Amino acid sequence: MVKYASFLGCQIPMRIPSIEIASKKVFEKIGLEAVDLQGYSCCPEPVISRLLDKTAWLATSARNLVLAEELGLDLMTLCNGCYETLLEANEILKHEPEERQRVNDILKTYGREYKGLVNVKHAVEVLYEDVGPEKIKEHVIKPMKIRVAMHYGCHLYREPNGGDITRKPNMMKELTGLTGVEIVDYGLERLCCGYPSMQADEEFSLKQRLLPKLKNIKEAGADAVVLTCPACTIQFEIGQILLREHGIHYNIPCINLMELLALSFGIPSKDLHLEFHRGPTSQLAEKIEGGYKCLK
Amino acid sequence: MTEKEREIVECMRRELGSDLIDAKTPRERRVFLRIKPTALRKAVNALKKNYSTLRFMTISAVDHGLDFEFLHHFHVDGAVVTLRSVKPKEDNTLESITDIIPAANFIEREITDLFGVKIPNHPKPGNLILTKDWPDDKRPLRKPLEGELPPQARPVAEALISTSCVAPISRYMERKREEAGLPKTSSFAFTNEKDMKEFHGIMKDTSLSKKVGFDWKKKKLRYR
Repeated sequence: MVKYASFLGCQIPMRIPSIEIASKKVFEKIGLEAVDLQGYSCCPEPVISRLLDKTAWLATSARNLVLAEELGLDLMTLCNGCYETLLEANEILKHEPEERQRVNDILKTYGREYKGLVNVKHAVEVLYEDVGPEKIKEHVIKPMKIRVAMHYGCHLYREPNGGDITRKPNMMKELTGLTGVEIVDYGLERLCCGYPSMQADEEFSLKQRLLPKLKNIKEAGADAVVLTCPACTIQFEIGQILLREHGIHYNIPCINLMELLALSFGIPSKDLHLEFHRGPTSQLAEKIEGGYKCLK
Repeated sequence: MTEKEREIVECMRRELGSDLIDAKTPRERRVFLRIKPTALRKAVNALKKNYSTLRFMTISAVDHGLDFEFLHHFHVDGAVVTLRSVKPKEDNTLESITDIIPAANFIEREITDLFGVKIPNHPKPGNLILTKDWPDDKRPLRKPLEGELPPQARPVAEALISTSCVAPISRYMERKREEAGLPKTSSFAFTNEKDMKEFHGIMKDTSLSKKVGFDWKKKKLRYR
């Protein structure tokens, strides 16, 4: 059985727990054992801590990585932001002895040591590489007859050592396709959703980042957006609400890849508690279950 | 570092002991002595006692947003010696050295005028370059009490340092999670005293909490 230490991060358990629920059900079906890290902290969040204090970032990430080391398991994240933060911290700590020493000097106060024994993987990589599309497809019993637009999220493009940055987005696209959806191209897949710039300039974030995407997604005829990043999901959902204050009305549902897989595995939407979303995700799922075919 | 600078640093190290935080001599004839703010008068007295040629130059005040930095500059036997002390802006005071060095009188009053810093033991307080009716709350060089973070990022930083999580859980979400068959919260550090102590230790061991202006007693940022 494939076994990983699971790093849930902050946004999934605290803001959109339906992703946590869906992932547990999907992992159970496909035989992936995900052991929750005990006593973990924020990865830490990839903007403030990294810009202000590199050592604070590395030491906090290292502590989370050490928790996985102590379990003897590689680390899997469901969140794109956590993935980038932990992956890059792990790369630095593995290959830069001075940084590693500085961090270990801090950690030893608490009886811990970063040894560089674990790898960090995004759940998309684990599903694709460790479980495999063929095995996942065996569990798809209710193909989703909807059109979806993909939002991969900037951090999913992060690749260590100059690797192919489209590797994980391509995996995510292929996994999404297994659920029976039709994926529509809208031309702005690489554009950031605007979540990080919300902290600096809300209007720029909404109108120069999110809005062009929403416009193209709607024009492409998508019924929903498929994402893996909880922060991007919050930006899409809250952003559409905030845009109403500017007289701009969109109501496009967002669905996480894990939720989409769970629905295609025949898990009823009520068991996934999609009401945690701040957009019409539950309504979309109910329509699909009611035999409504969005695909013409 | 020449013999002169080395001798000044050694002398002040003897005089100040642990009140001298750090000494730097970045170039010839330049000495920076970082001191505890409570030791300012002790340091000035020590310079006066040990160097008969001591000449007071000026005081620079720098508003860093969260803290004031005071730089007392002296000329000592051909070298410029700066006493550097940092005080939180909430304190808003500077000890006068005018009774030790009378030439500091005007610059201390100018600092009060321009930054609104109180100098409680000044022998002749009062506006120097501003008019007598100048409002106390409008000081020309004083910045708002703020750290480096833009306003939207402050709650995130506060939540991260105080709770170990950037999205603190509400009672509503705890209830909703339980209704959905999940534990009240995920297995975060804040659910366990030992883990939380460890996380807070890391925050204190690095400079993040200082840079964002986190108040450990109140468990929140010094500004919002």
